[in-house]
Amino acid sequence: MVDFIQNCIDGVMLGSSYALLAIGFTLIFGVMRRLNLSYGPSIMLGAFVGTLVYLEFQAGGLAVATATVVGAVLAGMYVERMCFWAIRQGAALASMVSSFAVWMQLEEIVTIVFPERTYSFPPFIEAVPLDVGPFFIKLENLIMFLCAGLAAVLLHGLLYRTRFGLAVRAVSENPQAAKFMGINIGIVMFWAFAVASGLGGVAAYLILGADGQITPLFGLWATFKGMIAMMLGGMGSIPGAILGGLLLGVIEAHSLWYLGTEYRDLVAYFVLFLFLIFRPGGLMGQVAAEREEAAMRRV
Amino acid sequence: MDPYLVSVLSNIGMISFIALSAYLLLLVGEISFGQQAFFAISAYGSGIATAMWGWPLWLGLIWGAALAGFAALLVAIPTLRLRGLYFSIATLAFAEMVRLIFEIFTYQIEIDGELVGPDGSEGFRDIRYVFESDVTAFEYMIVIYVLLASVLGFFFLLERSRLGAIFRMLGEDPMLTEMQGLNAIRYKLLAVVMAGIIAGIGGGLYAHLTTYVEPKIFNVMLGVHSLAYGLIGGLGTAIGPLIGVAIDIGFLESIRGLAGYRMIVFGGLVAVLLIFRPRGLLDESAVHWLRLRLRRRRDAAG
Amino acid sequence: MLEVEGVVTAYGNIEALRGVDLTVAENEITCLLGPNGAGKTTLMMTIAGILTPRQGSIRFLGAEAVGLTPSRIVKSGIALVPENRLVFPDMTVRDNLVAGGYLRLSKEKRAVEQDMAAMFDRFPQLAERSGQLAGTLSGGEQQMLSVARALMAKPRLLMMDEPSLGLAPLIVEEIFQIIRELHRDGTTIFLVEQNAHMALQVAHHFYLLEQGRVAFDGKPGQLAEHEVIQRAYLGSSQSG
Repeated sequence: MVDFIQNCIDGVMLGSSYALLAIGFTLIFGVMRRLNLSYGPSIMLGAFVGTLVYLEFQAGGLAVATATVVGAVLAGMYVERMCFWAIRQGAALASMVSSFAVWMQLEEIVTIVFPERTYSFPPFIEAVPLDVGPFFIKLENLIMFLCAGLAAVLLHGLLYRTRFGLAVRAVSENPQAAKFMGINIGIVMFWAFAVASGLGGVAAYLILGADGQITPLFGLWATFKGMIAMMLGGMGSIPGAILGGLLLGVIEAHSLWYLGTEYRDLVAYFVLFLFLIFRPGGLMGQVAAEREEAAMRRV
Repeated sequence: MDPYLVSVLSNIGMISFIALSAYLLLLVGEISFGQQAFFAISAYGSGIATAMWGWPLWLGLIWGAALAGFAALLVAIPTLRLRGLYFSIATLAFAEMVRLIFEIFTYQIEIDGELVGPDGSEGFRDIRYVFESDVTAFEYMIVIYVLLASVLGFFFLLERSRLGAIFRMLGEDPMLTEMQGLNAIRYKLLAVVMAGIIAGIGGGLYAHLTTYVEPKIFNVMLGVHSLAYGLIGGLGTAIGPLIGVAIDIGFLESIRGLAGYRMIVFGGLVAVLLIFRPRGLLDESAVHWLRLRLRRRRDAAG
Repeated sequence: MLEVEGVVTAYGNIEALRGVDLTVAENEITCLLGPNGAGKTTLMMTIAGILTPRQGSIRFLGAEAVGLTPSRIVKSGIALVPENRLVFPDMTVRDNLVAGGYLRLSKEKRAVEQDMAAMFDRFPQLAERSGQLAGTLSGGEQQMLSVARALMAKPRLLMMDEPSLGLAPLIVEEIFQIIRELHRDGTTIFLVEQNAHMALQVAHHFYLLEQGRVAFDGKPGQLAEHEVIQRAYLGSSQSG
C-alpha cells in the first residue's frame, strides 16, 4: 500500500512537469487547431540558450531561467510566423508538416552549437529529499508541482480576467466570429503562441533543472509528453491538460514500478490508445470532444 | 552502374513505398503519423520468414506485406470512427506501441550454431537472404523498381476507376459520400489496408537490403517524413510522393558538403515551399494544368 | 449612410459579386433579398472588411471603407450579426456580450459594463441566463444574444445576416419585433433575409440581389409581394 501511494506521489510530481508542458501545447492547439510539432524543439532551443548563459558566463539561476524563457519565446515566434501565420487557414496539414520541417532546423541549430551528447543544466535548488511520514518526495519535484499549480492559476487569470484572454478564448471558439467583433486574429495568435512558448520555457527550465542535464533529445520528448498529456486530458482543454499531465505521470510511475523501464512508455501509449478509442474527449469528457470537432470543422 | 548511385536509387525506391502509403490515406482524407508501423511489421515479418524459416524472398515479401495489411485491418477497426486529429494521434500511438513492442520482442533460433532473430533493442541482424542468393545490388534495385512501378500502376488504375473517385470524394467531402449511400468507413478501411500493404512491401524490401533492422528506425520521424514527402512533391498524383522522396534524399546526398547545415537549409526550403504551395509542387491545380496542356497538344497533333 | 458602388468580389476565379450598387439610408431599415448563392453573405463580408473587393467602393459616413481591416470597420461604427448567429458556445452569455464590446474595452470599460446591463434590461431572457454557456441556449435565444453582442459595439449601422434562419415562426416574429424596436430607438439596419415576407413588413427600402447584381431596387409595395418572394427564393425568370 505504501508503495502504491509512493508511486502515486512520484507520478503526480513527475506529472506536474508533463502538465506544464501540456498547458503550453494546449494553448497553442486551442488557438490554432493544429499540432505544433516544433513545440518541444523551440523550448529546447530556449533551454540551450540558458545552458549557454550558464556555461559561458557562469550565470545564476534567474539569469538562466530568463535566458531560457526568452529563447523559447523567440523560437516560438519564429515557428508561429513561419509555419502557422504564413500558411492560409484550412491548410492544416501544411502547417503541421512545416512545423516538422522547422523542428529539423531547430534541432540542427542546437547540435551545431552544442555538439556533445549531453550538457549540465543548473539545478534551481539544492536537491534535498523530504521525508513525509513513510513517503519520500524530492524538493525539486515539489517545487515543480507548485509551479505547475501557479502557472495554471496565472493562465486562468490571463484567460478569464483580461481583455487579451477574452480575445484568445473567442478566437479558440470561433475565429470567424471573433473577426466580426473586430478582434485581430493574427495578433492574438502571435501573442498566444508567445505566452505558450514562455510557459514552455518555464517548464523546460524546471524539468531540466531537476534533471541536472540537457540533451538534444529533449525536444522530441517534450512535444510528445505535452501532446499525450493534452489528449488524455481532453484535446484543447487547459484544465484537461493539467489533469492529463498528472495522469500520465501516475501511469508512468506505476508502470515503471511494476513492469520496468521497457514497459513504461509502452503502457503510456497503450492507455492513450484506449482513451482515444473509448473516450476521445479525455478526462474532461465527451462534450469536449464534440466541441473540438465542431471547432476544427470551422477552420 | 556506379554502386553509390545504385544505393541512393534503391533508398529512394524503398522509402517511396511508405510515402505512397501515407499518400493513399491523405487521398481519403486521413492524416496518418503511423505508417512506419506497417513498414516495421513487414520488415520483421519478412526477415523472420527468410532468415529463420528459410523461405524464399518472394514468399517472405508477400508474407510481410500480408502481415502489415492484417495489422492495418486490426488497427483500423476501432480507430476509423475517430475523426480528424483524433485518428491521426491514434495512428501515432499505435506506431509507437509497435516500435516499443519491437524493443522488447525477442525471437531467436539457432542456425548453424548462431543465434538468429530479432533481439529486442539490439535489433534483427543477418537478414542475409539477398546476399546468400547472389543477388547483386543492381539486380535488387531492379526488383525494387519493378515492384514500385506495379504500385504506381495500381495508383494509375485507381485514379481512373470508380473506387478512386470514391476515395477522392471521401477525402474532399465525407458527408457527400455518405449521402450517396456509400459506407464511408468501409471504404476507408479498404484504403487503410491497402496503405498498410504498400508500406509493407517497402518494409520487406528494406529489411533485405540493409540486412539489419532495429526498432529505433521505425520512429515518428519516419512517420512524419512519409507525410512530408507527399506534401513536398505534391498531392495531385501518386508521382508526387516519389518526387518528394527523390528531392529529400537527392538533396541530402548532394549537399553532403554542407554536412552540418543540411537540415537548416532543407527545413527552411520545405517551410517556404509550403507557404506558397501548401499542397506540394505537383498539387491538384498543377496536375490539372498539365493535363489540359497535354490534351491541347494531343488535339493539335490531330 | 452606406454607399456601395460597383463592388466586385471574387473567390479565386469565381465572381460572387459582379458590380453591386446600393445605398443604406440613415435611420431606415434596408433589406437585401435574393436566392441562395446570389451573393448576399459575400456582400456582408465585403462590407465588414473580411473580404476585399476587386473593384468598387464602399463609403460609410462619407469615408472609404474598402481596404480597412475588420477591426477598423467595427470601430467606425458597423457591426454584424452573422449568419447562423456564431455565438461563442463555451463562453457565458455575459462573456459573449463583453466580446461584442471588445474594441471598446481598453478605453471605455465602465461604459461597456453599463451597456451590458442595458442589454440585460432590454433582453430579460439573456439576463436570466447570463452565466450560462451560450451553446446551451435555444436558437431564438442565441439569435437574441448575437444581436445584443453586436449592439455592444455601439454601432451606427447594424448589419444582420439572415436572422430568421432556422428559427420557429413565433421566434422569428419576436426577432423582427426587436428589429423594429432597434430602429425606433435610432439604429440604422441593413438586413439580409431569405424570409421575404417578414422582411418586407419592416423594410423601408429593399434590394433584390440575383447572381451578384442588384436586380431590383425600391420600396415595399412597388413590386407585388408574391413576385418578390418568388424572385427571392428562385430568382427571376430572366436570370433562372
